[in-house]
Amino acid sequence: MSVLELRQVHRTHGTGATIVHALRGIDLVVRTGELVAVMGPSGSGKSTLLNLAGGLDSPTSGEVVVDGTVLGSCSRKALAALRRRKIGYVFQDLNLLPSLTAAENVALPLDLDGVRGSRKQALDALSEVDLNGYGDRFPDEMSGGQQQRVAIARALIGERTLVLADEPTGALDSQTGEAVLRLLRSKVDAGAAGMLVTHDARHAAWADRVVFLRDGRVVDTSGPLDQPEELLRAP
Amino acid sequence: MSVKHGLLALLERGPMYGYQLRAAFESSTGGTWPLNIGQVYTTLSRLERDELVRPLPENETGQRPFEITDLGHAELAKWFASPVSRSDRPRDELAIKLALAITTPGVDVRAVVQTQRGAAMRTLQEYTRLKTDVGDLPWLLVLDSMIFQAEAEVRWLDHCEASLVRYEAPAAQPVDADLPRDAEVPR
Ligand SMILES: Nc1ncnc2c1ncn2[C@@H]1O[C@H](COP(=O)(O)OP(=O)(O)O)[C@@H](O)[C@H]1O
Ligand SMILES: [Mg+2]
Repeated sequence: MSVLELRQVHRTHGTGATIVHALRGIDLVVRTGELVAVMGPSGSGKSTLLNLAGGLDSPTSGEVVVDGTVLGSCSRKALAALRRRKIGYVFQDLNLLPSLTAAENVALPLDLDGVRGSRKQALDALSEVDLNGYGDRFPDEMSGGQQQRVAIARALIGERTLVLADEPTGALDSQTGEAVLRLLRSKVDAGAAGMLVTHDARHAAWADRVVFLRDGRVVDTSGPLDQPEELLRAP
Repeated sequence: MSVKHGLLALLERGPMYGYQLRAAFESSTGGTWPLNIGQVYTTLSRLERDELVRPLPENETGQRPFEITDLGHAELAKWFASPVSRSDRPRDELAIKLALAITTPGVDVRAVVQTQRGAAMRTLQEYTRLKTDVGDLPWLLVLDSMIFQAEAEVRWLDHCEASLVRYEAPAAQPVDADLPRDAEVPR
């Protein structure tokens, strides 16, 4: 089942002589059980792509569909709920709330939805990223790598159907980085869809497909071909 | 790395015959270095000629096992004690190919880079997939070594692409006047 679909997505910034084409006509489908890595030089549009997929930004033209919902047709409230329930997001700059403990940060998306037993789920998620016993620490009491793992636990908790990660292994050593990819992989194998931005080929290799961006366009895809019907539908 | 030293190392565990050696070689390299039985026998006969191994009497199924000699043992120890020279690896074809691509008119170098990167990425994906079937440590390390090499290739290609973006291609040079008229242009 297709969880994320981008249809002829364009995103420009500014107008006239200073116009920046961040994305120029992206078509992309990510299905359940599929992890897609996005690679490309700096400025090629990777973060823009991920922000659009997560409903944090909207396309100048084209459509973004998550779990059957066209994001552009949602009310702000519906979009916020969809993001909270269905999309796990690891930001390039973590975005942990400094006034909340690690466990509270991880439990936040569940708490906002009134889910019971969120603390236990949060502690479980923390132990999955090897942070047993760190639940009551505040972000500033943890190393960069530990904070990064908290952010990952927050993205993987609950019944997320789409997990988006922008350079999630940035501050991690190679063993921990690999552990994070294994976690992402197993979340996806357990029935989610994932999209990962990385410049580390070793991490991208955990994906089923690697999409190469250049100047806002997909220039190549490595991995199995799209479904034949997908090819027939292509313009 | 030579098949020769690989077989010596395996025989250090105890006597083995050809098919056993092939199976052991392939399993210790995680099946990433397939060996045909002919290579095993030619290597064994060279090792025997150099007195590094010696044949034992045939067993009841007609297989002839080989055992390592003292000379073979010394050769193996020397091999483990020496670093692997980079020049032993004939891996520069890619660098030469890219250098030629840049200087050959009409070649889309970024496409050449991307073709290679896509292939390296696919290799990397295949190795990584093998990693998920939890294996034993020796073979995980062999696999990791190949993963890091493929990664290095991708990083180098990223570097090439970034350099290309900055590189102003010089106007195509006419064929060097020193070349004889009918000189062959390599393709
Ligand atoms: N808010 C913005 N205003 C203007 N230009 C932007 C904005 N966000 C991104 N861009 C431009 O869009 C292009 C793609 O950016 P981005 O998606 O962040 O690339 P990447 O993540 O691949 O490095 C870049 O040229 C960047 O400068
Ligand atoms: Mg970015």
